[in-house]
Amino acid sequence: MTLRLWPRSLAARTALVLLVGLVIVQVVGLTIHALDRIDVQRLAEARDVAVRVVSTYRMVMMTAPERRSEVLAQRHRLPGLTAEIGAEPPIVDAPEGPPFGMRILRVSLNLVPLMGVPHWRELRVVTPHDPRLVVVSMLMPDGDWLNMTIPVEPLSALHSPTFLAAFVLMTVAAAALTLWAVRRLTAPVRTLAAAAEALGRDVNAPPLPEDGPSEVATAAAAFNTMAARIRRFVEDRTELLTAIGHDLRTPITRLKLRAEFVEDEEQKGKILADLEELEAMVSATLAFGRDARTTEPVASLDLAELLRTVLDEAGDARPDAAARLSYEGPQHLTVRARPLALKRAVANLVANAVVYGGRAAVRLIPPADGMVTIEVEDDGPGIPAAELERVFEPFHRGEPSRNRETGGVGLGLPIARNILRAHGGDVVLANRPPSSAGTRSGGLRATATLPV
Amino acid sequence: MLFTMEQVPHILVVDDDREIRDLLARFLEEKHQMRVTAVRDAREARRALTNGHYHLVVLDLMLPGESGLDFGRWLRTQSDVPIVMLTAMGEETDRIIGLELGADDYVPKPFNPRELLARIRAVLRRAGDAGERRSDVSVRNLRFAGWTLVPSRRRLLNPQGAEVALTGGEYDLLVALVERANRVLTRDMLLDLLRGRQAGPFDRAIDVAISRLRRKLDDEGRNAQLIKTVRGGGYVLAATVERA
Repeated sequence: MTLRLWPRSLAARTALVLLVGLVIVQVVGLTIHALDRIDVQRLAEARDVAVRVVSTYRMVMMTAPERRSEVLAQRHRLPGLTAEIGAEPPIVDAPEGPPFGMRILRVSLNLVPLMGVPHWRELRVVTPHDPRLVVVSMLMPDGDWLNMTIPVEPLSALHSPTFLAAFVLMTVAAAALTLWAVRRLTAPVRTLAAAAEALGRDVNAPPLPEDGPSEVATAAAAFNTMAARIRRFVEDRTELLTAIGHDLRTPITRLKLRAEFVEDEEQKGKILADLEELEAMVSATLAFGRDARTTEPVASLDLAELLRTVLDEAGDARPDAAARLSYEGPQHLTVRARPLALKRAVANLVANAVVYGGRAAVRLIPPADGMVTIEVEDDGPGIPAAELERVFEPFHRGEPSRNRETGGVGLGLPIARNILRAHGGDVVLANRPPSSAGTRSGGLRATATLPV
Repeated sequence: MLFTMEQVPHILVVDDDREIRDLLARFLEEKHQMRVTAVRDAREARRALTNGHYHLVVLDLMLPGESGLDFGRWLRTQSDVPIVMLTAMGEETDRIIGLELGADDYVPKPFNPRELLARIRAVLRRAGDAGERRSDVSVRNLRFAGWTLVPSRRRLLNPQGAEVALTGGEYDLLVALVERANRVLTRDMLLDLLRGRQAGPFDRAIDVAISRLRRKLDDEGRNAQLIKTVRGGGYVLAATVERA
């Protein structure tokens, strides 16, 4: 339960801590303000009551004793209180009120100027159970008690609805500011995470801007240095491969020429087939190295015709598989792309389907949401779900047992993906569910997307 | 055939690898009745050219000393002898520069000997064609019925200007038909273009390649208008060709 209350994201955690702090500060501040305000109110009230009491006392004192009761009955002449003359102070079965309030009232009564009227002989202040009333009794010099009951405003901590609204507004504004600041300050962390993610996909992703707060700038610089090292490492490896590929061309050419002089036709065919395979590997390696610095210009091309040409060539290279190559889609579809690169990407997908899946059914789906989709399906056993992404890693070759027979250097799919991503598209693999007839396994489907 | 017994084609091979030179010479001489002189660099090639007459030069672009491209450019200023380049695999820039400076064709290295042979034969045939201005052929674009062939990039553009993918064999076939527009090309002539490229029986390959070309040129159906079948075994491209 506690774990659930503690959010996972840095921004949410920071915001939570700051907001809880804000609430605590506001509550404490409000309490201090309320207590202070009650004190001020009590003082003002005591002073107000004192003035009203003393002015009533003066009025009574300046009136002839026989007319006093008559005057006191005229309530409109009294300053908001009721008063009567009695022989005794009223008996109120209540203790003397809160000492502090009483003392303030007593002090206040003594501070109001009497202006020539003789001072009272005795004073009693009682607060009955009703907190809205105060009873003050004064023993006049002639021995009668003047008993006054004064209604008082109950003390309130919050004096106006405006104050409350302002307070709420202030709290909300502070909270909003906190959330904004937290989002802003944690943004670099998100940027860093996104950059790390991008680097994982593409080693040539643009570097992070090295600005912002110093800690963020330092982290960005460190990240960029790391990315540069990784890039360097990949480049070195690619260069090495390219160099090996270049160097292999001469011996392969020699071997191809020598093979032409082999008398045994069967052996000759096998040697040439081996050499073709070797050449394909070198070609893939060189293509992979070249993709890093693709310079081929973008041109309009007929994608439907390109797909069919790839299938034609696959069929020419493997006449035994030609019958299991099919195309479905529009007769013509013009897109803008790098013709040779795109052809290589599609050829790699088709070759994979033919080699591992025994069939290549290519489907071209016309543009939707600005993307055309190319699907290449085969009838192979598919690949485990965990491998679906890993096969796009360079030099990853799936199960060793499968590749011993079929060769390949594990670059076909990475090259295809590099090319399609460089075009702003992508390619993913998925295992197809077995068909409803249940007669054949689902096989694998490569789905390539390409912006129009 | 274009070359009679007295007219054995003489090929100059320029490649810095001795083994490849020797093997290629043996391959062309012993198996395919050509005469081969093989040299290792541009300097030796110049000497060979002053001392003899050659029908074709096979030129490796990666030569020690003076580069193959520079030598090819010089050679083009001297003569119209056809040039087949050996380029680095997939290095398109070299290839385009080579074709633009006037080379007639290219084969990426490591090459398949039989494919090189097919290219040599195709280029020799083209060069041997009477009245053909070779330098025009290799550089300038060919327009026919709205379509454009771009020899420097070995590309076909449709009337909307979009590139239509062609296999190497299809391209050679189309060039042969376009260069000899309105003339009948026999199956034998066309077959030679495809030799060394296709697996399987050749006579079938020509029909397949023609039907694919028709599909790509939107020329399908019972009565194909652009590439017409000639009774008795041959094809003709029926269109006016402009060079630009």
